[in-house]
Amino acid sequence: MTDPGFWIFVGVVAGIFAIFALGLQIQLGFTGLLNFGHVAFMAIGAYTMAILVVRTEMSIWLAGLIAIVVSMAFGLLIGLPTLRLRDDYLAITTIAFGEMVRYFALNLQGLTGGPQGTINLAGSGRAVSYNGEWVQFQRRVQGWLESLLGDTFLGEYINPNFTMMVIVWIVVIALILFLQRTVNSPYGRVLRSIREDEDAASALGKNVFSYKLQALAIGAAIGALAGLFYAWQFSFFSPIDFLPLQTFFAYVIVLLGGLARNWAVPVGAIIFAVIFAGTRFLNFWPLTEFDSGERAYLRLIIVGLILILLMAFRPQGIFGRRQEMALE
Amino acid sequence: MSDASHSDARILEVRDVKKRFGGLQALSGATLDVVPGSITALIGPNGAGKTTLFHVITGFYKPDEGEIAFLGDSIAGNPPHRIARKGLVRTFQLTKALTRMSVLENVMLAAPAQPGEQLAGVLFRPLATRKREQEVEERAMELLRLVRLDRLADEYAGTLSGGQRKLLEFARALMVEPRMIMLDEPMAGVNPSLGLQLLDHMRLAQEERGVTFLLIEHDMEVVMTVSERVIVMNEGHVIADGPPEIVRNDQRVIDAYLGTHREEAV
Amino acid sequence: MAAPEETRPPLLETFDLDAGYVDVNILHGVSIRVERGWIVSVIGPNGAGKSTLLKALYGYLKPRGGRIVFRPDGTDHDITGMKPNRITGLGMSYIPQLDNVFPTMSIMENLELGAYLSRKDFDERLGQIFEWFPILEQRRKQSAGTMSGGERQMLALGRALMSGPQLLLLDEPSAGLAPAVVDLIFDKLIEINEAGISMIMVEQNARRSLAMSHYGYVLDMGKNRYEGVGRELLHDEKVADLYLGGRGRLAAAEQLGDLDYEAQERDATREAPESRGS
Repeated sequence: MTDPGFWIFVGVVAGIFAIFALGLQIQLGFTGLLNFGHVAFMAIGAYTMAILVVRTEMSIWLAGLIAIVVSMAFGLLIGLPTLRLRDDYLAITTIAFGEMVRYFALNLQGLTGGPQGTINLAGSGRAVSYNGEWVQFQRRVQGWLESLLGDTFLGEYINPNFTMMVIVWIVVIALILFLQRTVNSPYGRVLRSIREDEDAASALGKNVFSYKLQALAIGAAIGALAGLFYAWQFSFFSPIDFLPLQTFFAYVIVLLGGLARNWAVPVGAIIFAVIFAGTRFLNFWPLTEFDSGERAYLRLIIVGLILILLMAFRPQGIFGRRQEMALE
Repeated sequence: MSDASHSDARILEVRDVKKRFGGLQALSGATLDVVPGSITALIGPNGAGKTTLFHVITGFYKPDEGEIAFLGDSIAGNPPHRIARKGLVRTFQLTKALTRMSVLENVMLAAPAQPGEQLAGVLFRPLATRKREQEVEERAMELLRLVRLDRLADEYAGTLSGGQRKLLEFARALMVEPRMIMLDEPMAGVNPSLGLQLLDHMRLAQEERGVTFLLIEHDMEVVMTVSERVIVMNEGHVIADGPPEIVRNDQRVIDAYLGTHREEAV
Repeated sequence: MAAPEETRPPLLETFDLDAGYVDVNILHGVSIRVERGWIVSVIGPNGAGKSTLLKALYGYLKPRGGRIVFRPDGTDHDITGMKPNRITGLGMSYIPQLDNVFPTMSIMENLELGAYLSRKDFDERLGQIFEWFPILEQRRKQSAGTMSGGERQMLALGRALMSGPQLLLLDEPSAGLAPAVVDLIFDKLIEINEAGISMIMVEQNARRSLAMSHYGYVLDMGKNRYEGVGRELLHDEKVADLYLGGRGRLAAAEQLGDLDYEAQERDATREAPESRGS
């Protein structure tokens, strides 16, 4: 429990999830889109990049950029037929979309490596990784950090995880600044008005459908970015990393922080990551009755419980305002 | 006050519009037109189809049949935002305040020509956006002062009472700087002295900016006081049309409100 | 149409009833009475509070002031604020304007549901309803959602009658129906009334409902305005004036002018009820 290395790892995960949740934030928190398939964008981002790097030996930066664009394209694709649907129907169709992407990943073995994941990307028998270029980049950054901070920071050696944490959190903060600027702008005002009352926005001349598409596309881009960092951190992934559960986690994070509060998302992500990882160390009875496999499920139960308690006692989230809940 | 002297052009023309919902024929061939720069009232008993007609004209429903033209352009079946951009703005009977946004933001939202409302504008034209925002904020506060909501500018619109929300919608509609405003029961729940001011502002907008008004109203006093012309609907179509004093004494209109019955001996 | 033969107290009476919704009061001191065997009309211009009155009588709204007394068995029952299911049990049924049948269930099932609270006399009542509305018997297995407007209204009536009420509350029974169908329904209502069932009818078509009512109440802005024998009110010009005349509120406000600017400031944030229907 006192191993800082572990907590740095948690910090990385929290950062990746913060990015992912911010992508949901702009759809749900600002525009009121009930997208339950957000994980699909993470998957599309990660897979597109990996496939391009392995198959075409593209630079990881170009592949990443294309991955983001492809994800946005998918966002538009799914948005065109579904955004005119009512809330609950949108939720159902987006879950389906998320699952469709995962099933494609599972079954299009030739394209995605199938259930074995990216290790299989070059066909069976040859293990590959896409991550070479990233690892090099990470080493360079690590070098800069070491020259900046010395060999150790807070008594801990500067290692790849620490480097990754710094990189990811720089991106998180940049994203938040960008989103803040957006939400406080007239553009953000239109998005929020759509969340409040589409008909009113429409009657004032706003093309609601177009704005919703844009929110979806931006959310898709950010989701893809999260997917990229996920891929780069773990050097390997497979369809099982993109279960609908991940979208659910993003919802918990966004709700923990309070809808439409950008700065609250990273806080929510950290709390979430801490709870999720921290339960690993609860070593008292009755938890000692469970083995580690069961404890994983236990963690899920705890997270679910927290969500229930949150909704019951503080639905506005940690930073939300009670008044806004009453006005809904 | 209208320009009827030099043209017969009507700012809004509705021809034979029909709309059915399942078994109910809500509009059965509604025909009317509105003189530019005038204040016209649309009255009629419950269920006459007044609000349905509003929804059809402003694009929230598609008509089954019939034609609608605004400023000479056909708008039947157009989506609401496109009709609003042409200069035809409406308010709602059950007010649609954007509850979790401030009163000021509600009005600022309505401002036309704000480059910052497009993503490209926010990213690439920050100066123009900021300048326009300042103008918009000033104009919005002006309008809020008009309707006596300026003290509540930073409050959530959701905390406003029903009558206050009507006022907010009125201010919001004026903010768009439209050619014509369609108001659905603008006086409902509004205190009489404030109501008088609203009527004054309507007349002012009409005189100074040539805005045309079409309002659905149940309060006959309001209708008599402010409208130059009254159109009466019943059972989905127009049954009378003329100056207020004449319409009010029209037997058909009285019959429409009170209903008809068979004369029978019981 | 006879007046009550004996001086029995009225079947239903309200005393100074105040009622409204969360942020607004609609009814201000409304008093009405329904004698046994009467059809009573409640009419008035838009926003008068007619539907609100029915809802307050039937327990959908808890009154904020005043009392409602119901005397189905001759003794006083104070039903102010009582829950609707208990009120039905006492003998008052409510037929709302919309959503008044279960569309996914058959006609027979709808009728059976109507008798839920009182199983006794089920067959007898069913027979009586089929006599009044033969079409319900013919189509009794048909799903209620496939019926026409008029047929649905008949089913709603039938269902309400299955609990053996003494008093029916009808909210705009003619709404959305073709005139010929309205004739049919209203004729049936007269028949049902002649069998001894009293009614309170809120109707948009004021004349038609007054023509068949023993008594009428005209509400305006939530208050009693006029009342009288049905046929007399029918020809009363004051009623027509109420619908199409103004109330002079604006004129009154104008007279105040700028004299009381501060009061106007205060007034600006105090509101009158917002109308809830069009």
